[in-house]
Amino acid sequence: MTQAIVVEGLRKRFGRREVLHGLDFAVEPGTVFGVIGPNGAGKTTTMRCLLDIIRPSAGTISVLGQDPQQGGTALRRRIGYLPGELHLENRTTGRRMVEHFAAISGSVDPRYVEELAERLGLDLDRQTRKLSKGNKQKLGLLQAFMHRPELLILDEPTSGLDPLVQQQFHAMIGEAMDRGATVFLSSHVLSEVQLTADAVAILRDGEIVTISTVEALRTAAVRQVKFTAAGTDAHDVGTLLARVPGVDSVVLRESPPSGHTGKSVEARATLSGQVQALVQALAHLNLSELVLEEPDLEEAVLTLYAKGSPSREDTPKPSSVREGAHHA
Amino acid sequence: MPSYLPLFTKALTDSWRSTLGWALGLTAACMLYLPIFPSIGGSSQMQDLINALPAGMTKALNYDQIATGPGYTQATLFGLIGFLLMSMASVSWGAGAVGGDEESGLLELTLAHSVTRIQVVWERALALLVRVAVLSAVVFLLVLGLNGPSQLKIDVGHLFGATVLFASLALLSGTAALCFGALTGRKVYGIAAGAAVAVIGYVFNAVGRQSPDVGWLLNLSPYHWAYGNSPVANGADWGAATGLLGISAALIVIAALALKRRDVGV
Repeated sequence: MTQAIVVEGLRKRFGRREVLHGLDFAVEPGTVFGVIGPNGAGKTTTMRCLLDIIRPSAGTISVLGQDPQQGGTALRRRIGYLPGELHLENRTTGRRMVEHFAAISGSVDPRYVEELAERLGLDLDRQTRKLSKGNKQKLGLLQAFMHRPELLILDEPTSGLDPLVQQQFHAMIGEAMDRGATVFLSSHVLSEVQLTADAVAILRDGEIVTISTVEALRTAAVRQVKFTAAGTDAHDVGTLLARVPGVDSVVLRESPPSGHTGKSVEARATLSGQVQALVQALAHLNLSELVLEEPDLEEAVLTLYAKGSPSREDTPKPSSVREGAHHA
Repeated sequence: MPSYLPLFTKALTDSWRSTLGWALGLTAACMLYLPIFPSIGGSSQMQDLINALPAGMTKALNYDQIATGPGYTQATLFGLIGFLLMSMASVSWGAGAVGGDEESGLLELTLAHSVTRIQVVWERALALLVRVAVLSAVVFLLVLGLNGPSQLKIDVGHLFGATVLFASLALLSGTAALCFGALTGRKVYGIAAGAAVAVIGYVFNAVGRQSPDVGWLLNLSPYHWAYGNSPVANGADWGAATGLLGISAALIVIAALALKRRDVGV
């Protein structure tokens, strides 16, 4: 089977400003491919190129085996698209909007529309101008999913959704996967992508910094380790930790003996890579406490962003990534 | 749920309020102007008053034949207030059809569905044509209804021809607005282009009629093409109607080709 999306050397120039500097990636059919990057990285531009809303300045694109411009209406019928900035008409209801899109995209099962609306908790008969941002987003998702497309292209799909609806969204993604659909989605925060995506491309300033699996990111990510060991001293713990691969930034604090226990050592460190070696090493100690945190993928991504711009002092908008994490 | 001409249908149903509004405006214009003809235009005092005005002014306002029913209807309704209302309606619809839709961000999602850009332009242009035709039909029927009571003595065939020219002229402004909206993706440029066609046409006609020295301006005025021979009184110049509609058609083709070629929503 051919790949669902193949992008080679994609460049896009608006006037003199080039916003995509030669992207190369491929999306395997039946997988979820996430693109993450700060605002302005080129995620939306890439998606618009896939849908032939804008045309590449250079490079080739193949979507479901066809050039988006050649594929035309027949190709777009096989795609569901959620724009990053969803604009809806004011003087209409969700139902009328959905009916219109069904009329131009064809073969929509009205029962499925009702089912999706119910699952998302969306009232289709309300005036769109009275809908909250989250409800508008639900309407956007509904029109993308309603014709059961082979390919879903979703730009920041969970923005504005509360956690329950996000769960519902993940279930919808899961069902799309079950019927063999491919999903291409973007986000400015990794936490949104990591639950669903098989592969993740990190985009920064119009270039792909890396393409990786969430698993690989997780492995590369750094965990915080904290433990307290009794009956030993800082020197011994330090020597022990020095032999464990991936352990870094060790901080040790020795407490004086209290009561019947001897001296104890409180240790903090970071760990990247596998945990096995550390666990084996720690087995030699008499631990009274151990905390091994979930790897912070946001940190991992930020590290990658930073690696993408070694010459720059200003780290590229980590704040926006952070902000996103809060309301996610 | 595949349907026939979905974008056309939507454009029509979405704008029923504005269509109704403009229809009411045109009705009011007809009802205000035409019934008073027997007491104003038809009286000899009015003709004396018109004769006392500077000739340039009566020519600019097309009031030179205001003493006759057809001349009065031509000057007041088709040439002035009706022309103004129809041009405004047509320009606002034309500018909104592509440029306004793109500017508000709606066109992106429409194009992501299973429609071609050429289809978007031509179905919406068709909806513009239908709405202009509906408003013109309203005017035609009102004038026809008031013809007897208001003692206008307009030949029905001439009225029909004048209404076709009235519609063609308004449509030209609307398609100019649609075309520039589609070229630029901005509603305001569409409005500017459509208004320019209407205003320049009107001004060139008014100035061109002042003296033979500036008579060449008349050749550049769509308004003059349509109304130069006072169609309500003398019947339509069908060549002018064909020409106006032909230019509109060309503008729609340009709009479709332009939209097909360029990036949307940037």
